[in-house]
Amino acid sequence: MFRMEDFTIYIIDDEEDIRTSLTRSLTKRGYKVESFSSADSFLETYNRTISGCLLLDYGMPEMNGLELQNKLIEMEISIPIIFMTGHGGIPQSVQAIKAGAIDFLEKPFQQKVLLKAIDTAFEQAISFNEDIESANALKAKFETLTAREKEIAEFIVQNPADTSSKNIGRQLDVSPRTVDHHRARVLEKMDVTSVAELIEKAIKSDLFS
Amino acid sequence: MKLSLGAILAIWLSGLQFIAVLSVVSFYFVSSERVLLDHATTLIGEVGRGSTEHSKGFLEPAIRATKLAKRLIESDIVDNNSAEQLEKLLFQQMQVVPQLSGIYYGDDQGNFVYVMRSEKHADFRTKLVKRNNGFISTELIWRDENYNVTRRTTDPTDKFDPRVRPWYIDAKDKRSFIWTAPYIFFSSQSPGITAATPITSASNQFEGVIGVDIEIEEISRFLSGLDIGSSGVAMALSSDRDVIAHPNSNFIRETDQANTLKFVKIDQIEDLVAREAFGNLPNFDQVAAEQEIEAEFKYNDGKYASILIPGSNHDLPWSIAIYAPLSDFIGGIEKNRTRNIWIAMFIAMITGLIGLKIANKINQPIRDFAIRAGHVASGNVSKSNASSQTYPELEEVSETLASEIAQRKTFERIYGLTFSLTSRGMAQISPNDGHFIRVNQQLADTLGYTLKEMADLSIFDILHPEDVDSYLSFQKTLFEDYEYNQEKRYIRKNGEIIWLQVNAFLIRDNKGEPMYAVATIDDRTAQKKAETKINELSRDLSHFARVNMMGQMAEGLAHELNQPLTSITQNVDAALLTLKDLPDADPELIEILNDMDRQAHHGAEIIRALRGLVRKDEGEKSQFDINELLDQTLQLLKPEANELEISIALKAQDIPLVFGNRVQVAQVIMNLTRNAIEAVEASGVSERDITIKTKPQKKFIEIHVIDTGPGIDPDVDLFAQFESSKRDGMGLGLSLSRTLIEANGGKVWYEPKTKGRSRFCFTIPVAVIS
Repeated sequence: MFRMEDFTIYIIDDEEDIRTSLTRSLTKRGYKVESFSSADSFLETYNRTISGCLLLDYGMPEMNGLELQNKLIEMEISIPIIFMTGHGGIPQSVQAIKAGAIDFLEKPFQQKVLLKAIDTAFEQAISFNEDIESANALKAKFETLTAREKEIAEFIVQNPADTSSKNIGRQLDVSPRTVDHHRARVLEKMDVTSVAELIEKAIKSDLFS
Repeated sequence: MKLSLGAILAIWLSGLQFIAVLSVVSFYFVSSERVLLDHATTLIGEVGRGSTEHSKGFLEPAIRATKLAKRLIESDIVDNNSAEQLEKLLFQQMQVVPQLSGIYYGDDQGNFVYVMRSEKHADFRTKLVKRNNGFISTELIWRDENYNVTRRTTDPTDKFDPRVRPWYIDAKDKRSFIWTAPYIFFSSQSPGITAATPITSASNQFEGVIGVDIEIEEISRFLSGLDIGSSGVAMALSSDRDVIAHPNSNFIRETDQANTLKFVKIDQIEDLVAREAFGNLPNFDQVAAEQEIEAEFKYNDGKYASILIPGSNHDLPWSIAIYAPLSDFIGGIEKNRTRNIWIAMFIAMITGLIGLKIANKINQPIRDFAIRAGHVASGNVSKSNASSQTYPELEEVSETLASEIAQRKTFERIYGLTFSLTSRGMAQISPNDGHFIRVNQQLADTLGYTLKEMADLSIFDILHPEDVDSYLSFQKTLFEDYEYNQEKRYIRKNGEIIWLQVNAFLIRDNKGEPMYAVATIDDRTAQKKAETKINELSRDLSHFARVNMMGQMAEGLAHELNQPLTSITQNVDAALLTLKDLPDADPELIEILNDMDRQAHHGAEIIRALRGLVRKDEGEKSQFDINELLDQTLQLLKPEANELEISIALKAQDIPLVFGNRVQVAQVIMNLTRNAIEAVEASGVSERDITIKTKPQKKFIEIHVIDTGPGIDPDVDLFAQFESSKRDGMGLGLSLSRTLIEANGGKVWYEPKTKGRSRFCFTIPVAVIS
């Protein structure tokens, strides 16, 4: 089970006073906090196995907050981001939220707003974690299938529009009866009750990406 | 129409000839006609008077016979009571006077003796009517010329009474010789007339009347025998307007309703010319009282002369009337006249031809001169084509003209060449109404008209509607002999507005009268447009600068202040949490910390409000030519750079259009270039130049502002707000530039000094052609 101790808040801000004061207040509240003066220094030390969220200043020299967000997306790092800004620039906030940011906080912000955002980020982190775990579990189950079963499972997920045995059989050059047989085995091994559930889970955990 | 000298000479020569000949002919005709007409009138008059005399001569014996009988009776030589004596007397008169057809005597007792010529039984016949106490006897006696009775008879039915006859009554009433009105004898159907005279006793007692009947057929015969011209007519008219004699005796009789013969009235005669000539005389008695009446009249296109000789002036019982056609007298010369006119025309033609020949001869040297003048005028000045036949006056004029024209040609050629070869527009303009007397091709091209079209135009046709009154100042300036020099709007043929610099002055003739204005005209539209664009840009930039600098400052301040406020609130939060862990925390301290938190947020609110007040001008984005924008922006900076003796060069490449906010980009160019100027000026280096380059990249255009200044201290964060390497700088310029370029989707950066030059660069996205 995911616990608060496993959750780290990474503060990235070029202003030292901000880093100090934020670290102080959040630590007092029992959060695990790490702070960085630039995006680059964060990226250098970041370990993607440790879950947490970013408390990211938008306006920084060199790489700014938005650029870091893009970079993380590029690097396929899913970490919840809470933006902070002294400018309150509306266009940037829209862009950030679109790219998946949790919130865009205008400095100075009310503590309860910050805490609520952190809560959201925490829940998101949990969900990220769970997703990863269930995906890993699904993958493990998939590995237990025979080659023919894997083939049929993949065909079902890739062609959800027509999953009749007749069609699958024709496409894979086997008899519909054989398809029926293999499909029953697939559902059993993958621990799902229906073809629909199989498709949903496979897509969610990116089984065949 | 102007006629040549030759034509004038020919027309005048032949025309005058014709008129001269014609006037001689006409004068001859008119004067001879007058003479002949006078002669005709005289002739008619004389014929008339002759006829009158003849009439008198014809009647005279009858009158004499009457008077003789009267005398014999009144002197009692013949007893008027004796029918035998009376008969004898009357018989004798009949024998003597052949004109008489009858003679008679009637007394107041009603006795009547009548001797007449007879065709039956004997030459003469006598009628005797005797009244005696109411008893009437009528005896008829025929006698031969020797007074022998050949037959005797009585007629009891004949109760003739002389006292009731008109001749008797009239003579008795007047007691003098009378003529009765002419009448037609019943028996012979010949016209006749009766003369009567009263017989009185010694005691002047009226006793009876002697009457004679005269046949006047003879008068008609006489009149018809008259030779009046070739077809003149003479007539005798009674005072009752009866025609009693006419050459055609059939014309004078008519039968009335009672079947009695009577004379035709003059206004009803079948001789229509006679009717026209005399029918209109209303009262013949009055007319007859006048002198002779001569007249000329027209009938049926024919001209006639007429005369009326009243008989009363000559003791005649009728008037003589004559008319004759004038053609009888002047027909000959009228025929002559037509022939003469033809002759005149022929002579005029001959002389006209001769005149033409002479005119041609006179005119030849003049025509040669005209041809030569033409040659000279077209620049062919040579003496070789001088005519052999000429006049010294013409020769002199020719020489002068040739040299004048040669001089003018030279001048014209130089002026014309200048006019058409100059690269500027040129025009000759009428100073009075402004129309173009002459323009060169350059001006026509500038205005978009052909030369031909320009010839019909005036300056009003091309003036901008708002500048129409500027022509007045044009006129005024010129007439005061100042040079006109104005830059104004004009309209091209296609309606485009163009700016023309017009430079004009007035040319006067040798009398000082204005001839035309010479104008040189330059098209200033392109410059004017560029200036306008630069001015617009300048205006936009200063507006932009005002709004955005405030916004930028507010923005910057907000950012800078929000940072410490954030730290404060976070620290307060940490302090509160710390305080809560203490068992004996001072509640007042908690309150103080809460207040601080609230006040820090309050400060942030104020800043937010301030920022809201100064909204950033977002501006509109569009496609534009960055080279053009660079050029315009640099124009605005040139004065500043020139003053500091810094040269600015633009090295533009052919690049695509960019997309962004033009004014914002201009502001960035302005900021960077001005920074460069200030850097070069502050450094005091000898090489004082700035170069701006454009460089196309894949999806961007790079703009480099390169200067020879000292470069930037690497410790300064150039693009941060409120940081400046300049002593009096606010640190907003570069920060604003960065904000603006980023807002336009570009980047801005600084490249440190290499080869003595440092450069600021920025990019602008290339416009995507959709």
